[in-house]
Amino acid sequence: MIQTSKYRIVVSAVAPIILLVIMVAFLVGPGSTFLQFGVIVPEIYLEKIDFVDSEIQVTVRNTGPIDTNIVVADVNDRIQPAAIEPDNHLTRFETALVRIPYDWNEGQPYTIGLTTDDGTRFEKHVDVAFPALVPDLELIGFLGLIGVLVGIVPIMIGLLWLPFIRRLGENGLRFFLAFTIGLLLFLAADAIEESLEISQEHLSDVFNGKLLTFTCVILSFLGLYLVGNQLIKRSQFSKFSKTMTISLMIAIGIGFHNFGEGLAVGAAIGLGQVALGTFLIVGFALHNTTEGLAIAAPLSRKKGIISKLIMFGLIAGSPAIFGTWIGGFSFSPFTAIIFLSIGAGAIFQVILSLINYIRNESEIPFLNIYVISGISLGIVVMYITSIFI
Amino acid sequence: MIYILMIIASLSTMYFVIPEVTNAAEEPRTFLTHTGLVIKTTGEVIDPIGYSGEPLEFNPDEFMRNFDYGIVTELDDGTVLREFYITARDDQIMEISPGVHYNVWTFNGSVPGPTIRATEGDLIRIHFTNDGSKAHTMHFHGKHKAEMDGVFEIVGPGGKFTYEFYADPVGLHLYHCHVHPVEEHITHGLYGVYIVDPKEPRESAEELVFVLNGMDTDYDGENNFYAANTIPFYYQHHPIEISKNQLIRAYVVNILEFDSINNFHLHGTLFHHFPAGTDTVPSGFNDMLTMSQGDRQILEFEYEYPGLYMFHAHVTEFSEKGWVSSFLVTEQNNIHSDVIDNDSDI
Repeated sequence: MIQTSKYRIVVSAVAPIILLVIMVAFLVGPGSTFLQFGVIVPEIYLEKIDFVDSEIQVTVRNTGPIDTNIVVADVNDRIQPAAIEPDNHLTRFETALVRIPYDWNEGQPYTIGLTTDDGTRFEKHVDVAFPALVPDLELIGFLGLIGVLVGIVPIMIGLLWLPFIRRLGENGLRFFLAFTIGLLLFLAADAIEESLEISQEHLSDVFNGKLLTFTCVILSFLGLYLVGNQLIKRSQFSKFSKTMTISLMIAIGIGFHNFGEGLAVGAAIGLGQVALGTFLIVGFALHNTTEGLAIAAPLSRKKGIISKLIMFGLIAGSPAIFGTWIGGFSFSPFTAIIFLSIGAGAIFQVILSLINYIRNESEIPFLNIYVISGISLGIVVMYITSIFI
Repeated sequence: MIYILMIIASLSTMYFVIPEVTNAAEEPRTFLTHTGLVIKTTGEVIDPIGYSGEPLEFNPDEFMRNFDYGIVTELDDGTVLREFYITARDDQIMEISPGVHYNVWTFNGSVPGPTIRATEGDLIRIHFTNDGSKAHTMHFHGKHKAEMDGVFEIVGPGGKFTYEFYADPVGLHLYHCHVHPVEEHITHGLYGVYIVDPKEPRESAEELVFVLNGMDTDYDGENNFYAANTIPFYYQHHPIEISKNQLIRAYVVNILEFDSINNFHLHGTLFHHFPAGTDTVPSGFNDMLTMSQGDRQILEFEYEYPGLYMFHAHVTEFSEKGWVSSFLVTEQNNIHSDVIDNDSDI
């Protein structure tokens, strides 16, 4: 009896899948002629352009619905001989490396074009030609140091506000927690905007960067909500208190965000955009001191937490170092989008925890004058510091 | 957890640099040596400039020396009648540059169509058939009656029309489809050369036809490729062999669309040029010639020194997208005996 019912369950679970496979095979399977209408044209996407010694290297991906050949390469719309590795035939989603021997000039803009076998030319513009970074110890150290300066140092400085926050009364603390919510709201919006921008500029439409952003935001929010709840539940039986958990979650959320910032700084340096890189470094450093405040605020009523604070600061800040490395040496739009949007989701989770925390602490309505002015001021401060970036 | 995600990020980054990584591990096999720069590669070389692969369907060398004199009969009054059978099509896909496939519209299956050649005063009769899916006509430059102009007498798909006119005046002319939108019909390839020789023949020379054309293969209103005789860079990898001190007569026709001018620059010597070939006195002695859309010029020149000489558009954009060619001047006398001469049909 039990055997039969199990069998039934398996059949009822698998049968629809089999039927679905049969239907898809009928529609688009090999030899199917049912959906042959319209015109199918090849499409390629120039994902990355590197300037190396007397050579321009293009990473190209077939983003169209059919296989295609790349048959002509050009620089600034002038046909050039080139080599394609591994070969010039690209199946769906396959990438190839096009190597164009070319005595390029540093600092000049270039447009690189590739033509497919149907005669369609696809191009990508590079604002400033700059030699691709080669990872050596010195450069790894340099980028790492920038990561420290952008991520860890400003957050540690921000943590120094803790003694000041300690002296505040109930409403003062409420104000600062709300101020933190304002900061975080801004950071989340900033991360989503940045992610959408990268998907617009660097990712082929076929990968649906916008939806990738929202998928990651939602998944990371739900995932961290679960993790946060578990931590809070466990904190009831340990000395790791609820406020501590909130701080930790804030630090993790900010960590993701700083990874994204690191990517931006690293990519700017990698692309030779010195002015932009400098602005980003200074801007993020200013911006990130407020993040230290965000971590410290929930802990204002705790004592003897210096070592934990430092740990949280490191959790929040050190991802910036990894970010600058990855951004500088091999910028990938995928990585950037995924991390920025995970960061946004994490931040939304933190905001929810903070709201719950403020509500549970007192009987008075949540949206009082202190909270509203705190959130508003937080957003305004972030907006003003963001102008420097 | 954040560090686990870091590792995932690093791995995902690795995934996107994998093509480079895997290639670096292989032993480089090929050397690419062009324009002075050398690279080692394990991959394939795409080089339309130094192309050495299979010949393409259209052969510019044959076209350059191929003159169609028609089927010749003599009328009662002694007039020479030359009859031509021309069929228009618009469904062919042709490899116009190595690997590049383009929908060409053709007169008698090729771009350009046949070079129609007659002597002044001959009666020309063109039996035109439209085998295409769109309306087409043949519009000849030169003197003829209005109804033979190929503009208002649209020939629909499957239709026929007989054009009849006297070869007049002497010169280098052209013919092309004149159905609206003319730009589309011309850029797809519906054009050809029409030469009217004087009754007193021109001085004996090695005669070459150059049709300066372009292809807008992605239909964005700009030419992707430029050429002398359709195939970009063809005479770069197949230099035209000529003998020194041999008079060369080049029939140069500019049928380029989208770009309002085109030009012709000859290295190592200068030419006399005859606008539209209508006069016997040259208009100038130069190594540069600028032509607007539809302009033609006959050039006469010879080389004093042997060697490899380039000729190309001095609009360097055009030359770097295919309209660059070369003469290989040799010591020996190598006048082509295989010049196709349909006059022998008489």
